[in-house]
Amino acid sequence: MITLTINEKDITLEKPVTVLEAARKAGIKIPTLCHHEALKPFGGCRLCIVEVERMPRLQTACTLLAADGMVVKTESDTISKVRRGILEFLLINHPLDCPYCDKAGECELQDLVNKYGPTTGRFKEEKRKVPESHKDQIFTRNMERCVVCTRCVRMCSDVQGASAISIIGRGSHSKMEPFSTESFKCEYCGNCLTVCPVGAILSRLYIHSFRPWQIDKEVETLCSYCGVGCSLVAQVRDDSIKRVIPKIGLGLNKGLLCSRGRFGYEYINSAERLKMPLVRKNGELKESTWSEALSIVAEKMLEIKNTHGGPAIAGLASPRCSNEDNYVFQKFMRLACGTNNIDSISRTGFAAAQKYFEDLLGQGITANIIEGLRNSETILVLGGDPSAINPVLGLAIREAARRGAKITVLGNAKGLERFKTFQVVPSVFKEADVLEALLTEIYNTRGLRNENPALDRGIRTLCEKAAAKSDMQEVRDLRNILLGSASTAVVLGMDLLQRSDGHKALFAVAGLIYLLEARLYLLSEKPNEQGVIDTGCAPDLLPGGRPLGIHEFRRKFEAAWDGVIPEKEGLTLLEIINDASEKRIKALYIMGENPVFNLPDKPFVRGALKSLDFIVVQDIFLTETAELADVVLPALGWTERTGTYTNLERRIQLQHKAVETPSGMEDWKIISEISSKMGYRMNYSDSKDVMAEIAEVSPLYRDLTYQEISKGNCLWPYNGEPLRGEISEAPAAVNITKEYKDDFYLAVEKPLFHSGTLSRRAPALLKIYPEPALKVGMETAKKLELKDGDRVQFFTQYGSKEAFVSTDESIKDNRVYYSNNFKNNGVLHLMSFNMDNVTKAPGLEGCEVRIKKI
Amino acid sequence: MEKILLKNIDNPNSSDIDEYIKAGGYRNLSKALSMQPKDILEEVKKSGLKGRGGAGFPTGMKWSFAIADPNLPKYLLCNADEGEPGTFKDRPILEKNPHLLIEGMVISGYVLGSENGYIYLRGEYPHAKEILNKALKQAYEKNYLGDNILGKGIKFHLTVYQGAGAYICGEETALIESIEGKKGQPRNKPPFPVNVGAWNKPTIVNNVETLANLPYIVEVGGEAYSKTGSKDCSGPKLFSVSGCVNNPGVFELPMGTSLKDIIYKYAGGIRGGKALKAVIPGGLSTPVLPADSIDCAMDFVSLPKAGSMLGSGAVIVMDESVCMVKVTHRALKFFEHESCGKCVPCREGTEWLRKILERIEEGQGREGDIELLSDIAGNVAGKTFCPLGDGAAGVVTGMLKHFKGEFEEKIRKV
Amino acid sequence: MFNDSVLNEIEGIKAKYPDRRSALLPSLYIAQREFGWLSHEAMQYVAKTLNLPEAEVRGTSSFYAMFKHQPIGRHLIQLCTNVSCMILGAERLADMLVQKYGLQPNSTSPDGRFSLVIMECIGACGTAPAMLVNTDFHDNLTEKRIEEILEGYK
Ligand SMILES: Cc1cc2nc3c(=O)[nH]c(=O)nc-3n(C[C@H](O)[C@H](O)[C@H](O)COP(=O)(O)O)c2cc1C
Ligand code: SF4
Ligand code: FES
Repeated sequence: MITLTINEKDITLEKPVTVLEAARKAGIKIPTLCHHEALKPFGGCRLCIVEVERMPRLQTACTLLAADGMVVKTESDTISKVRRGILEFLLINHPLDCPYCDKAGECELQDLVNKYGPTTGRFKEEKRKVPESHKDQIFTRNMERCVVCTRCVRMCSDVQGASAISIIGRGSHSKMEPFSTESFKCEYCGNCLTVCPVGAILSRLYIHSFRPWQIDKEVETLCSYCGVGCSLVAQVRDDSIKRVIPKIGLGLNKGLLCSRGRFGYEYINSAERLKMPLVRKNGELKESTWSEALSIVAEKMLEIKNTHGGPAIAGLASPRCSNEDNYVFQKFMRLACGTNNIDSISRTGFAAAQKYFEDLLGQGITANIIEGLRNSETILVLGGDPSAINPVLGLAIREAARRGAKITVLGNAKGLERFKTFQVVPSVFKEADVLEALLTEIYNTRGLRNENPALDRGIRTLCEKAAAKSDMQEVRDLRNILLGSASTAVVLGMDLLQRSDGHKALFAVAGLIYLLEARLYLLSEKPNEQGVIDTGCAPDLLPGGRPLGIHEFRRKFEAAWDGVIPEKEGLTLLEIINDASEKRIKALYIMGENPVFNLPDKPFVRGALKSLDFIVVQDIFLTETAELADVVLPALGWTERTGTYTNLERRIQLQHKAVETPSGMEDWKIISEISSKMGYRMNYSDSKDVMAEIAEVSPLYRDLTYQEISKGNCLWPYNGEPLRGEISEAPAAVNITKEYKDDFYLAVEKPLFHSGTLSRRAPALLKIYPEPALKVGMETAKKLELKDGDRVQFFTQYGSKEAFVSTDESIKDNRVYYSNNFKNNGVLHLMSFNMDNVTKAPGLEGCEVRIKKI
Repeated sequence: MEKILLKNIDNPNSSDIDEYIKAGGYRNLSKALSMQPKDILEEVKKSGLKGRGGAGFPTGMKWSFAIADPNLPKYLLCNADEGEPGTFKDRPILEKNPHLLIEGMVISGYVLGSENGYIYLRGEYPHAKEILNKALKQAYEKNYLGDNILGKGIKFHLTVYQGAGAYICGEETALIESIEGKKGQPRNKPPFPVNVGAWNKPTIVNNVETLANLPYIVEVGGEAYSKTGSKDCSGPKLFSVSGCVNNPGVFELPMGTSLKDIIYKYAGGIRGGKALKAVIPGGLSTPVLPADSIDCAMDFVSLPKAGSMLGSGAVIVMDESVCMVKVTHRALKFFEHESCGKCVPCREGTEWLRKILERIEEGQGREGDIELLSDIAGNVAGKTFCPLGDGAAGVVTGMLKHFKGEFEEKIRKV
Repeated sequence: MFNDSVLNEIEGIKAKYPDRRSALLPSLYIAQREFGWLSHEAMQYVAKTLNLPEAEVRGTSSFYAMFKHQPIGRHLIQLCTNVSCMILGAERLADMLVQKYGLQPNSTSPDGRFSLVIMECIGACGTAPAMLVNTDFHDNLTEKRIEEILEGYK
């Protein structure tokens, strides 16, 4: 307990904090400039100077630790004079171009001068001249306005970990610059913008387009890009999003954002947005009216249901849509259409992995909070780069590294290059072998846990058989790291399971987290992959993760819904596509998804869709899939409607409506209208109403209200109980004896700056990353005599493509990466797939690639 | 006085280990290793040795802070940055008597329980770097450094780290940043380096001259040592004398030798029979003294009373022909150039002061400039992150205090 | 990129410190020795060798006056003009270098023979004025002596 006096006010502190924090807690304002709550104390600007009794010099409150008995004065004539002097120093070289500067109105220097500053200038000499730099695509840099508080640099290196900028020179010549001096070539998180107190770094997205005070409203909402679910603030003027900013302290991201979240919002204003329903007439999609389009859908679906039965219908829900949308969707499918053929693109990764782990280890096994990563002693990263897929989760890993955690990586992970402490790069198709060897090593040292008979049996069988395999030193080193760690987290990316024997790797991972008592995190590329499952958009699960196969549950939901749920489990994504191609499925209803582009083997998927009698697509853009539809229904997008999302740690959060749009309808609303027309009435007045029903029927979201969610901290299971059902037998591993012989192997790049349909319509992200390149490792480049910018043609057995080469030191093996995020320029169509019969995820096939310089 | 720190340096081979041993070198190391570290520390405390880097902090006290935690590896850093303008006193030790420093550091390492020492050598001393590296090699060969020093199971390794032209790296926390491979910007204190220093471990930073005193203290004992020099400030001291004197150079004299004697007796008086005008007694960062104040003992206690500081003991002598405006301008150019840029008053203040002084010197002075200079200096002094800014402000204030007339004249001549 | 012997040299330096980052200044010196000055590319090599962020390498490098971020002449003259040297005439010497050799401070003579840097104190105040040419000290300078000395650097 520390008691000190500030301005004659006694303040008692629980734990030692700085005088500045102590004062702020007591409501006493001390001016600051270099200090920022997201950063460590710096003590450079000297504005926070205070007088402390018995200390000879003036002290800076931001760096001085409060001590028992301290007597502090934060205002006096001396102090005011000092502050005035400092502000005068800051102004001598400042351009005073406030009328022109975008920061005016939210400029800390302006506010400080207003309050404490000199009124006249005594500086008559020439000011420093540094031309403003517009050489970056996103940032303007004005080093005349810079006050060298170094907040941007500290944010970039100490928090973001990108270390892309630094102060160049020293003393009065100090200026902030990126390495190249021109373009930042950084991670474009824009977190430097958050902390710059003046107009020294500004975003070009809104340059000179509005003044901070000309905002009609600010809406706290969620990012629409990935499964982390960062909070942000959308600033609106004239019903259009002017800027997206984070708020320090807000949300699980605590004010940090990534490039997609901060600069990717402009897609919402894209001219390509669908405005009116489209109906195929004489082979062509033509604009139509809502009533016509909805009637056609209802009639056609009914007709197919009546002629071929419910199971001839399938639906794809969407991890981009809200819980409300997805809940209504599955209800519509089950009760109006009479089918359990409901799945989503998540089956290619997240949903498949989660099902596998939950079957083995119990429901809720992946419900671990991101914040907890920071305090892990060891983090094992597998199957992808967290810093690109879930950037803000990646920051937690980097923070753990800074705190001394061991970051071990299996495979390539660009964003952890400077943070990893250990890396094993298995050769292509050998990931599962390495993981099994690791599991065996751990089993041999630590033995079984005897808590989960099925899993224990599975591990024993595997490890006894595999005993001879672990002759790799790296595996033993990794084992030692893991065994020496008291708190381990496993972060799993989906690349690991996109194999026809992907389940083998998953089994080894399950074994590892079980034996090591590690926490599991599944990387999630879309914002609501968890919500899709939770709301029952799966062929085998009802809302709340209740197995459809259990009669009791089905009966409960039937009672609540007043309808009949088909008894038979439905088909998964790839099975639906397959059955469509074989004409067993006749109608497909797709909400917010683009399987033609996002699944491998495009000719096959396209063919399958073309053989359908009827396709409905709800979306905000005319995607490659929508182009094939019979009816296209324009939905509403991010900031245009309200709804809840469940992130990868199973936090339920609210995305808020911020603007009015003349066209489009909420996804759940479109569906409920069609449902009613088909004879199963749905009567929701708004999304809140839908949530009220979810809270009533879903045991996981019990009693959940929007009001409750707004408070934050709604973590799954919210007031409900997860289902710790019987743990089933470990599914038998299917051995696929596949030899990989080729030199190079094509893989799908998961870049930081893009994530498909949305990002490719976000101009800023396109400026940062305009065109995909073939990313090759240094070894590959050397072998093929390639250098950056060379043009190559690359071939798989399914086709070929031309691209520029870009070398990347973080690729340590013979994989070459190409992104699948650009319109008409994907890469999945050069691959095929073979379904993993255990996980039902697609095992990518035909990725052997030849590369020819042209 | 018998030379202790500069003993034997007239021997052209003084830097060679054999010559050093011949003159009795490394005997004190053997003696020290046969003593208990805490006993040596007692002697150091008794000696009253105060740091020769400028601040005059009692060395024994600093060491006992670091020793408090026996479990952590401690680093011993020798501050050989010698950047204070006018100072060139460490250079003869480094170039002519490197083994004295090495011997002092091994003894210090033994006392502190430190196994690793680094000599932070300023980049501008390439010659010293070669000599030091050669001396280290010899010392390793003769087992005065290494894993088993003199077969006593004592371990101490020493490495030379070359600075790269930044005065601020003489400040101990900036030095630590620099040796960690960063910009030399001072760190916040507390924690002090003795608690959290280089690579986050307790670290002792001592000046070259300070460490070079150690063998002698071991030899004669703290008590005897404390008898040299003046009251409260014991021991021999190196004074660098430069500027308008007949016989500039480094003089090893007892602490407390009078400034007047240093100038007239040892440095041979003023060149060309001119009159003395002013002296900067302790390196450029210490306030100037006018000619009539030189009757003053050169130590950490007396000079502050006379309105200046001992600093590094670098005496810059200026005769009547030297223009004080010019000196002040040049000094501020130095401080502006060397300001690390971390804190606002120093970064902006030194630039502004320099600009005004430049103007005045070029004959563009304006009425009110003197008040402005003094006000700006006041806004800098005491507000900066580290003492560099104070030094800059002190120079201006000191000059205006004693030589205001010269500034006025310069401005009036417009 | 650095050749193997340089990489070995850097490895040896790294081994002397508890953290690889401490090898940064020594490695920058080495890069400067190898390439004459620290181009962006040279700094990239250093960053890569030490696995440090490029921007931090450049930021740190630019803090120190003795790292050269522009090509320099064959011989580097570092003339001190700080107070002790100044009062004994260092400024005259600087003027003379401009007039006689076309050497403005921070520039290179047109023939590429010399570059001039005006230094803060180089610790030779007792024998002022003084300069360093490459790594050689020269002191008690006069205009005439400078001419003689520079003759020795072709
Ligand atoms: C701006 C500044 C520059 C300094 N330069 C030096 C220097 O060049 N050499 C030195 O030994 N101490 C220098 N010091 C003092 C050191 O910070 C530190 O006090 C000293 O190295 C401690 O050694 P000592 O106790 O042996 O004196 C400087 C201090 C400041 C504030
Ligand atoms: S006073 Fe401030 S800017 Fe000047 S050197 Fe010290 S910390 Fe750096
Ligand atoms: S806020 Fe304390 S020094 Fe800047």
